[in-house]
Formats: sequence, C-alpha cells, structure tokens
Amino acid sequence: MKIRQRIAEELSDAFPGLQTETPGEGRLLVLAGKDSVIAVLGYLKRRGYNHLALISCVDWMEEGEFELVYILSAYPRGEGGAAAREELSILVKTRISRKRPDAATAIPVFANAEPLEREIHELFGIVFAGHPRLTPLFLEREYPIPPFRKDFDTRQYVKDFFDKIPEVQQE
Amino acid sequence: MGHKYSLHAVYFCTGCGIIEIPPALTARWDAERFGIIPAAAPRQANLFLITGYVSLKTLKPIIRTYEQMGEPKFTVAFGSCPINGGMYWDSYNTVKHLDRYLPIDGWIAGCMPRPEAIFTAITHLWGMIDRGEADGYRRYRRYYRQYRANQERVLGRLDWPPLRGED
Repeated sequence: MKIRQRIAEELSDAFPGLQTETPGEGRLLVLAGKDSVIAVLGYLKRRGYNHLALISCVDWMEEGEFELVYILSAYPRGEGGAAAREELSILVKTRISRKRPDAATAIPVFANAEPLEREIHELFGIVFAGHPRLTPLFLEREYPIPPFRKDFDTRQYVKDFFDKIPEVQQE
Repeated sequence: MGHKYSLHAVYFCTGCGIIEIPPALTARWDAERFGIIPAAAPRQANLFLITGYVSLKTLKPIIRTYEQMGEPKFTVAFGSCPINGGMYWDSYNTVKHLDRYLPIDGWIAGCMPRPEAIFTAITHLWGMIDRGEADGYRRYRRYYRQYRANQERVLGRLDWPPLRGED
C-alpha cells in the first residue's frame, strides 16, 4: 500500500469525517475543519511529518472565506538520506470566515509558525488566537485594508498615494 | 574634474540589477578600465548605484546611505523600476519615481540593462562631471526641504534631523 493511502486511512480513523484527496503524485490533501486543524497538524507531526515548510493563505472573496494551507513534509530518517525519505508532501487546508477571520495558532505544534502567521496576519488581516506577538513585521506603512486581500485595489492605492507625491520643483 | 576617473561605487542591491554587477566588476567586463571599483563603505564612495526596484522598506536605508557619502557624489539608478516603478507600477509598496526622494544624476533604462549599458552611462557621466551637470548633491542641499517632505510623506516622521537646506 502506498504511504499516502496508509496515512489517509490513519487520518480518517483518528478524525472521523475528515476528507482527504490525492491531487497528484507525492501529495496528500487533507481538508480539516477550523476546530480540528491544529489537532491534525499535531497528529501528522507525531506520525513523522515534522517539517512545516509553509503556511499560505488564499482569499476566496466570492465565497466569503479565507483558506489556510499548511504544507508538511518529513525530514529524512535514519541512514540512506534522501533514499530513505518518504517522498510525500501533505497539504492541510482549512477554511475560515472572511467576516470573522480568526484561526488558532499552530505555534504549540510547530514553533516556526511564528513568523509565517505574523506575515499572514499583516497581509491578510487574519487573527491567530494564542499567537504571542502579532505585531508589524513586514510593512512600512498602514494600509486601509490588509494589502493581500482581493478587495485591496492596488491600482487605486497607487493613484491615491504614490501618484500624489509631488515632483521636486527645481529652477 | 579628476575624480571622474576615480569612481568608488557603493551599490544598493535592491532588485534584479545586482545580477549585472558582479560580471560588470570582474574579468568579463572589468569596470576598473573605467576607474570604477567597489567601495567598502558609503563613507569611501562617490558613486551610488541603485540597481532595481525600491520598496518603502528599502527607501529609508537608501536615504541614509546617500547621506553618509561624502561630496561630490553621483547617483545612477538602474533599470525601469526606479524610473517609474517598472513592472511594479501598481504595487502597493514600491516607490514609483525615485527622483522624488533623492536626486538622481543619471538613469539607465532597461529591464535589466546589460553591463555595456552601465559603461555607456559611466562615460556619459564623465561628460556630465566635466560640464558640472552631475550636480545632484548640490540639488539635494538646495531643494532639501522638498526632498525631505516627500521622504516623510511615504515613511512617516524620520528619526534623524534635517540637513540644512537652502530652500
């Protein structure tokens, strides 16, 4: 049995009702609920998927939801390096409401989630409950709404802000 | 104007333009033929190369670097991005016209310009230095109030005191 089928079955035993998909070779997609996603991440970490490569965010504006995507993989184990590695990336996705964009922090499971969640907080305005420092890190200015949201009109912002910086008048 | 052959360059590696700098400085194109060598620090430099897009975050260190350089000093902005934003024309955090914040003596258009374009620009800069046209550092003092106002428009209040400007 392929490793990803085995993991998919283990996950549905541990979390009844959890959906999994296999979007391509070497990938397993897990669709978790907002309340179970951190438990799923903890389960997968204990199962050996102990590297959180990235957290990304997608703004599904028309559907009124944000999607958080946690990408996990396993570090090579034992002798043999890459040959012994389970070549599988696990994508754990969860959806949260765009009106009340709250999510639980993944820091208790993966400490390196700290700057990743800070970035998503700053660029999408998602509030990660339990995160110890959701303070500005990347942006130099304040924006009317977080600038990576789909309804942030970058062209209009440039017209209203950068285009109004006057030229230096020289004789 | 002997210093035109003694251009000690500090380059601010903001964008993809920095890719063009190592081949321009080393054996293949050998910028030293034109009297250009890299400077270890802004204090020892008189040529400031800004090699690509300038985000709001990098604008502040660019201003500080420029102000640390001794006079006379010359600024050359590389590529489309410092001219008008280039491919970042509608970006929420990329400065569109660098010359509204710092005086620029010359522009090299392109995305990115090749090393040959750098040398064409430098030989052009020699002529400007001879004719006294590479006077950005004088314009910076003269119109400092306007430059500073624009800097503070995008960065908020700057935490260093203003130069003594003449306007």
